Amino acid sequence: MTTIAEQGEHRYVLNMGPQHPSTHGVLRVILEMEGEYVMDPQPVLGYGHRMHEKMAESRPWPNFLPNAARMDYLSALIYNHGYVGVVERLAGIEATPRAEYIRVITSELNRLQSHLLWLGVLVLDLGAFTPIMYTFEDREKILDILEDVTGSRLTYCYMRVGGVVRDIDDKFVEGTREFIKWQRSRMPMYDKLVTGNIIFRKRIEQIGEFSPDLARRYGLTGPVLRGTGIPYDIRRAEPYSVYPEFDFEIPTETTGDCMAAYLVRVREIEQSLRILEQALDKLPDGPAMAKVPKKLKLPAGDACYAVESPRGELVYHLTGDGSDTPYRMKIRVPSFSNLSLLPELCRGMLLSDLCACMGSLDLVIPEIDR
Amino acid sequence: MESKDSVIAAFKQVPIKVQEVDFAQRGYHLEIMLEPGQLRDFAQLLRTGNFYLSFISGLHLATGIDVSYQFANYAFPCRLLAHVSVDADNSLPTIADIFHGANWHERETKDFYGVIFRDHPNLKPLLLAEDMEDLKPLLKKEPALKDRAAITRVEKIAEDKPAPAVKKEEA
Repeated sequence: MTTIAEQGEHRYVLNMGPQHPSTHGVLRVILEMEGEYVMDPQPVLGYGHRMHEKMAESRPWPNFLPNAARMDYLSALIYNHGYVGVVERLAGIEATPRAEYIRVITSELNRLQSHLLWLGVLVLDLGAFTPIMYTFEDREKILDILEDVTGSRLTYCYMRVGGVVRDIDDKFVEGTREFIKWQRSRMPMYDKLVTGNIIFRKRIEQIGEFSPDLARRYGLTGPVLRGTGIPYDIRRAEPYSVYPEFDFEIPTETTGDCMAAYLVRVREIEQSLRILEQALDKLPDGPAMAKVPKKLKLPAGDACYAVESPRGELVYHLTGDGSDTPYRMKIRVPSFSNLSLLPELCRGMLLSDLCACMGSLDLVIPEIDR
Repeated sequence: MESKDSVIAAFKQVPIKVQEVDFAQRGYHLEIMLEPGQLRDFAQLLRTGNFYLSFISGLHLATGIDVSYQFANYAFPCRLLAHVSVDADNSLPTIADIFHGANWHERETKDFYGVIFRDHPNLKPLLLAEDMEDLKPLLKKEPALKDRAAITRVEKIAEDKPAPAVKKEEA
């Protein structure tokens, strides 16, 4: 491939985005092309930059709760979870056991809908329109379940320090159990329709060489990392909330291509269903909200809270100074590090394969831009 | 390095100031205070020890800007947070050639705090627009705030170099 690069006669620059269907948001990638080959892809960020970290510093901590949902719109509840987690850790507050279970249940439902959307749009990026219609049918069921209890369908603001804002009811539990059955019955169809599809496989097998070393150099996390054979999942590596109480696997693959990332994510759907099942069975009684002082001040000092988002490791690093306004809050988002390896990963690749790679990384741009 | 203890032992050999902290309270295992001159050796050590870079962030204190580096390990639970105070000319050596992912994290820190990373391959604005280079949005503008913040870390920094400019808040 270097031979093509060295010729350099027919180089041209192609501008992909900021409005392009397969960049999934306002991401621009400047592509230096040599025919159909991408010689140098350079992402340009910041089109959706809102400076959430500054907003966190300029208002009392409870007022940041809605912001937490507006970074990664596909895993708002998991961002909720991380934010209330870091405040609880710094302030030394514990949520009630029931609330922790509800947090896990809603987080896993959120993860499922994120994976279902990803499954649809990855295949859509590769030119197959039908599967997204099926995955959206499943996803709608999750959104309906979550809407009943949280009040919203996308930008949830459901968790509070000490618990959750509203307890779940029998309707929620029944609806989730029904959904688990429904989703299990759908997976064989996706296997036939997508996983086993020869055109799809040719498009993503042996595309993208993710390796453990590349992952370490760039801080890659999430399903793409697990596709290289490293079983690293924050839910298992640094267990938070009540995850240690559930029996679930960390799916891994060894090939490190886009297909591996695909297979890991599809198998994670089953694992999330398993967690949901166990959490519903074990769900303890009691209040869904602990007693928390009305005016809670953040003590001086700092704390981190890492959670596993559908895209990888999400870390909140909160520094308090004794007032109710955070002195500093750093938010480490998974897609930021995951996208940063694109220039190295996609050098010398066909343009259509670059779309497959970006689809496998499952990028959410507002999360990167923050 | 195959466990947290071997990491601590490796740091002590250099020597790097390392302190174990309670994970349940802080969310990470090791807190490290670095001199700017140690930064690259420290990164090299972590690179051979199979760590990955989680993030780089800043903190504006009365003593100056404190840049923190968080690393974690895929193989065993060991999350560490290293603090470095910037040099007098507001700069630090880059680690983007050791951990390639640091490239973007350093550009972000430059955007928000104006910290210059020496020998960085491409220190252009990343998240901010090109004409916003002087904005440095995360620098604390009000002096009162800056003083109050000093309470969070000043005790630890004071161990090495007492900072006369810092006023501690009356308890």
